Amino acid sequence: MTEFRLPAHSRIHTGVTHAAPEGAHDVRRVRIYRFDPDSGENPRIDTFELEASECGQMVLDALIRIKSTRDATLTFRRSCREGICGSCAMNINGVNRLACITSVHDLGAQIRIYPLPHLPVVKDLVPDLTTFYAQYASVKPWLTTQTPAPPDAERLQSKAEQEKIDRPAACILCACCSTACPSYWWNSDRYLGPAALLAAYRWIIDSRDEATGERLDALEDPFKLYRCHTIMNCTDVCPKDLNPAKAIAEIKKMLVQRQS
Amino acid sequence: MAERPLSPHLSVYRMHRYTLLTSILNRITGLVLAAGLLLLVYWLMAAASGPLAYARAQAVLGLWVCKAVFLALLAAFSYHLCAGVRHLVWDSGRGLEREQSRLSAYAVLGASVVLFVGLACWMFQRGAL
Repeated sequence: MTEFRLPAHSRIHTGVTHAAPEGAHDVRRVRIYRFDPDSGENPRIDTFELEASECGQMVLDALIRIKSTRDATLTFRRSCREGICGSCAMNINGVNRLACITSVHDLGAQIRIYPLPHLPVVKDLVPDLTTFYAQYASVKPWLTTQTPAPPDAERLQSKAEQEKIDRPAACILCACCSTACPSYWWNSDRYLGPAALLAAYRWIIDSRDEATGERLDALEDPFKLYRCHTIMNCTDVCPKDLNPAKAIAEIKKMLVQRQS
Repeated sequence: MAERPLSPHLSVYRMHRYTLLTSILNRITGLVLAAGLLLLVYWLMAAASGPLAYARAQAVLGLWVCKAVFLALLAAFSYHLCAGVRHLVWDSGRGLEREQSRLSAYAVLGASVVLFVGLACWMFQRGAL
């Protein structure tokens, strides 16, 4: 449902300010969305003032710094710190990106950090991605075949066939794209979203897969696929430079072409 | 445990990105054009009702307020047409790379301004405005 206002229990209240250390001269104000499920209170924005030299290189470094020196209860997901695991996806200065590969120095003196948009929040910057993962699972992201595999070899692909799936298969499921998509905001219960559709496309064009028809059948639905209105936010934000919008356009084309 | 809050979306997302801006403008101009059709219907109904009603409609539509509304509709039409062509190209699977879509966003804005100014000048010269 298209609902522009946040529900009452989600509206943001003012939080606390953790002032910069004495004598700081180049201050970065990091404003962070906080939600404590145990307090029963609404979410709030806390402000942490950091000396620029304290922040480190990347937004993730600044978050870790805040957690270890200012407020140990600050909660966020992180793992690889090099943009390959997709854990630390969040909304930074209005755009979804990975905290670990976003430079603090590109952001200016004010850094605003929110969880990925339009998701239920578990705590602070940790959103609940259950629906997102279920949608990924619903496109059956695995090889489906009827013919038996060659006895002594893998199912081989030509170089050109591999190149087709090379980029789409590089998706790290960080959810930056889907949660940047207004169509997904309003219809995430029925629209699969760019990440799941990119995964679907990756298996549709896989030369070894033998369930192409069934995969296309499953997507021929007014909501699952066709809620994409080519807003292009997905491709705009993808931290791996992938192109979900193009994948969706290709699926739409295949659906039309097989009718003729 | 408290009910999970919904994370903020419209209120925090950077709206002036070329992606969101061109998309929402396309929607708004589409709505404006649909509403503008009411004016056309009024004019057609007046024309069908007889010379007296038609003369009155001509007088009403000649008011400067109506001319201003018509200019706004012309602007909406210019943008909606150009953005529609962009969508048509996209639907053919072309122009979907990030850099291409960024450039086409500016191209659409530029082309719609040119189209609007051109149409407005042409109509002004012919005495329609």
